[in-house]
Amino acid sequence: MSRSLRTGLFLLVMLGLLSIALPMSAQDNTLIMARAVDATGLDPHTQTAFVSLAALSMIYEPLVTTDNDLNLIPALATGWSFSEDGLKLTMNLRQGVTFHDGSDFTAEDVIASFTRLLNPDVASAAATNYASITSMEAPDDYTVVFNLSQPDVPLLAAMASTNAVILSSDVIANEDPALVTIGTGPFKLAEWTPEEKMVLAANEDWWGDGPYVDGIEVRIIPDEASILAALRAGTIDFAYLNDPLVATLLVDDANVTLHRTPVLSYNVLQLRAAVEPLDKLEVRQAISCAINRQEIVDSAALGEGRVTGPLTMASFALPTDDLFCYEQDVAKAQELMAAAGMETGFTLPVMVANAEPPTATAIAQVIQAQLDAINITVEIESLELNTYVDRWLAGDFSAAVALNGGRTDPYTMYARYWQYDARFQNVAGYIDDSLDSLMKQGQVETDPAARYEIFAQLQRELAEKAPWVWLYAPYTYTAHQSYVSGWEPTANDSLYFLYAAQINR
Amino acid sequence: MPAMNKAVSLNQPMKPLERGPLREFLRNFRHNLSGMVGVILVGLFVLISVAGILKITPFPILEQHPLDRLKAPGEIPAYILGTDQFGRDVASNLMKGGANSLQVATLSVLMATLAGTFVGAIAGYLGGNPDTILMRLMDILFAFPSLLLALLIVTIRGPGLENTILAIAIVYTPIFARVARGPVLSLKETEFVTAARCIGAPETRILLRHVLPNMLAPLIVQVSLALSWALITEAGLSFLGLGTQPPEPSWGLMLSSNRGLAEIAPWLIMYPGLAIMLGVLGFNLLGDGLRDVLDPRMRGRR
Amino acid sequence: MLSAEQRAALEAYYGLDKPPIQQYFVWLGDALQGNFGFSIRHGSAVLPLIIEHFPITLELAFMAIVIALGIGIPIGILSAIRHNSLIDLFGRMFSMLGLAVPNFLLGTLIIYVLSVYFGILPNSGNYTSFSEDPWLNIQQLIFPAITMGFSFSASVMRMTRSAMLEVMNEDYVRTARSKGLRESVVIRRHALRNALIPVVTLIGVEFGYLLGGAFITEQIFSLPGIGRLAVNAISQREYALVQGVTLFIAINFVIVNLAVDLIYAAIDPRISYASHE
Repeated sequence: MSRSLRTGLFLLVMLGLLSIALPMSAQDNTLIMARAVDATGLDPHTQTAFVSLAALSMIYEPLVTTDNDLNLIPALATGWSFSEDGLKLTMNLRQGVTFHDGSDFTAEDVIASFTRLLNPDVASAAATNYASITSMEAPDDYTVVFNLSQPDVPLLAAMASTNAVILSSDVIANEDPALVTIGTGPFKLAEWTPEEKMVLAANEDWWGDGPYVDGIEVRIIPDEASILAALRAGTIDFAYLNDPLVATLLVDDANVTLHRTPVLSYNVLQLRAAVEPLDKLEVRQAISCAINRQEIVDSAALGEGRVTGPLTMASFALPTDDLFCYEQDVAKAQELMAAAGMETGFTLPVMVANAEPPTATAIAQVIQAQLDAINITVEIESLELNTYVDRWLAGDFSAAVALNGGRTDPYTMYARYWQYDARFQNVAGYIDDSLDSLMKQGQVETDPAARYEIFAQLQRELAEKAPWVWLYAPYTYTAHQSYVSGWEPTANDSLYFLYAAQINR
Repeated sequence: MPAMNKAVSLNQPMKPLERGPLREFLRNFRHNLSGMVGVILVGLFVLISVAGILKITPFPILEQHPLDRLKAPGEIPAYILGTDQFGRDVASNLMKGGANSLQVATLSVLMATLAGTFVGAIAGYLGGNPDTILMRLMDILFAFPSLLLALLIVTIRGPGLENTILAIAIVYTPIFARVARGPVLSLKETEFVTAARCIGAPETRILLRHVLPNMLAPLIVQVSLALSWALITEAGLSFLGLGTQPPEPSWGLMLSSNRGLAEIAPWLIMYPGLAIMLGVLGFNLLGDGLRDVLDPRMRGRR
Repeated sequence: MLSAEQRAALEAYYGLDKPPIQQYFVWLGDALQGNFGFSIRHGSAVLPLIIEHFPITLELAFMAIVIALGIGIPIGILSAIRHNSLIDLFGRMFSMLGLAVPNFLLGTLIIYVLSVYFGILPNSGNYTSFSEDPWLNIQQLIFPAITMGFSFSASVMRMTRSAMLEVMNEDYVRTARSKGLRESVVIRRHALRNALIPVVTLIGVEFGYLLGGAFITEQIFSLPGIGRLAVNAISQREYALVQGVTLFIAINFVIVNLAVDLIYAAIDPRISYASHE
């Protein structure tokens, strides 16, 4: 009988191993949310990936933020004013705000955060936007004065960003913000298992009204088709979708509310003029002329998107007819290639991230087919998101299909690319005096009409010099069960307003 | 009973696949149902793939027809199996995808067969320490799930056609080493090998002329089965985005990249799925048939 | 980015300034003491991560085996008993199909059919452990288990069938029959027990593979097991984690094979460890 004993023992051991439990928390009033890609890191000042910023926008708060119509509204600051000469920005801070660790939010935290943002060693993603800040002072605990080197109109808009959120001065001094996540926002980070889930708990002491849910559980379901299935099956409450092919299937679903939000971000074919033969103006222009942007929208996104120039915000965007070669013109493209002495073509490696956005590979394939007409052989390099971001940041590519973030203000949107010494100058791969000077004028000009004209000129020049080929602005989709209310999506991909979401089953 | 059969086959092994036996093999094979179905499926697969390689497809491969996006099969008669989101002809893509899959499968299995047979034969022939070391090495390779091993190799070397081939080849090398080692072990002590050695034939010649032909039967069976696994592994790697890279068509890639469209365009995952199934089925049936005919011990039992 | 000084400090901290061979032995020494290194992405040591993800893979492998045996053995026996009958033909077709359907295809189809036609999806990224809610846990794992078990059931069926056919011709079965025993008794007592020996070997090998992680199945059904951990680690270049998981899987395979040898000895009276080389 020792045989069956041994078999029995074996089975017993295996069953024992089975019962090792995983910690799990799920309350009825917890909003179960799903998305396909997980945050790449938790330091709000250095993250550039949308997914990271969206997650962090629930935990941290900036001084000011934007509402659904992209107007500036107070967040941690309650009021602000520029001095007559435009060289001083005074901000009044909200009182009675506490960080998630219980410490009070004061002017000291604001100064510490912006000092960190401006520290070159931190390599903050948006540092260029705050470069005009020369010093900061705190007359009292709830007032901060920013001293500026020059008038800086877009500074306020630049502050309305998850890249400019306020961290606790204690954390900055003693901890690594990439590891210690303590903000002032409506939700606190309770648990993060990368690639699986992030659990957020409601911040009971939050200064605003809400949140109305006990917490948010963000599950990573790597495939958007599976997220769709989960929404239909009712096993999740809320979903963030990027893939128009999947999202549009929900249009007729009675139990699910789908929000389609035009966003400021844009799909672009980034060319790096620093690399041969993209250093030739004619070659870049030929690429721009050979591309049929509407066809890209129709094929890659089944029509879900709007062809756009460099600027995506309605208040500044020029009609695309005014821009260079926005109508596909293969004959002209061929002439340009010939003028550059490249009529025999060349091979262009194009890097794409394989899942973020889901349309990227499809965009690259349409571009590949279109550029074939002017003898450019596109080699698609499909990379995992982290690898892609690393190479993108290092400027280690010839061309890339990218989904870049937009801002409400044109200067903030492009300060990090189209200026000498800009943070991502190397990523942009092209700069000239004219672009740099237009950007600098746009930063200090206070007259709206003159400012509009400056950025109209910038758009024309960008389209004509074709350092990049702007393609289209997508939509993002949030979908939730009909029993979820209070959610209003915004154009900047932020999930901050989930504090208003309610579950009324 | 098995032992007896073995003895019979060992008594006359000098020229095992000569005209007589070959004719007998063909006669037997023709009566083997699964083998014949396998031959037909594999033949179809090869035919389609060759057409894909020679670009004899209904439409140029990868040609996009922007106006004919997502047409169902038959909606426009020219697109027999419909079109995908770029307006590419699914049938043409499937043909080129089949060619790519077949290319990966055959090249990788060929490499695995050569490497594995070499290692196995050397190990079996030399015996002793070299045998132990080589076969332990093979065991270590064998201890990894094939997909994990392939994933690791692709991670180190990057995705793409060549690395997929290399990965699959390495994964299946140990199997061939095992297949080859057995016959060598039993053959090297037999009379005809001893006889050859007595005449003073060089060792390599003995291996090539006398031992190798006797491994052919099990090797052929194994190759056919390995081809079906290689097809699955290639499709799996491509499905995970680590095999064939877009836009180059591959069945696994077509399946995974069109999953989001499954609802509005089911044909986009139906046909690649069916193609993988039939391809794998074909090689499996062929392998079974070959085993039935080549391995007398198994005859009539499958 | 990093200054040269910071880089040097970091390299010294992680031991990257030492020659590779020394790094390897440092890693090996640490691994032998249960220290597989640190995953930066997860902010956790590698071993606890593996231990945390293992139960799902283990349970999934178990369920897949149970499903495979539950389908494969009866069909295999039936096919063998009714050799060359219609049942046999269907059985063989089933096994051929099972071997030809890759699990990513089956998984995709299952999710599609369940969610579109039945509006259910048993698992949506919220794995519940067995000890918390056994019923829910089984509901969540049953479809992935079917996905993994299906093709395995085909090999079990083939193995059972051919082993049964072989055994049925053996002398002791003929003797049992000639003693006048009923056919069902002959099959149960004499044929089946011996026919199952090769099946056990097959289970062992397959179990070892299943414990290595169901890369694709765990990915499709978003189950946080070893397979998904490995795929993520590989795609994110988390080398410490990749090394740890790989070593863990290999050790698993060895242990399972050892266990199979033991079971093998237990059910086959002809094998004992004295005579086993």
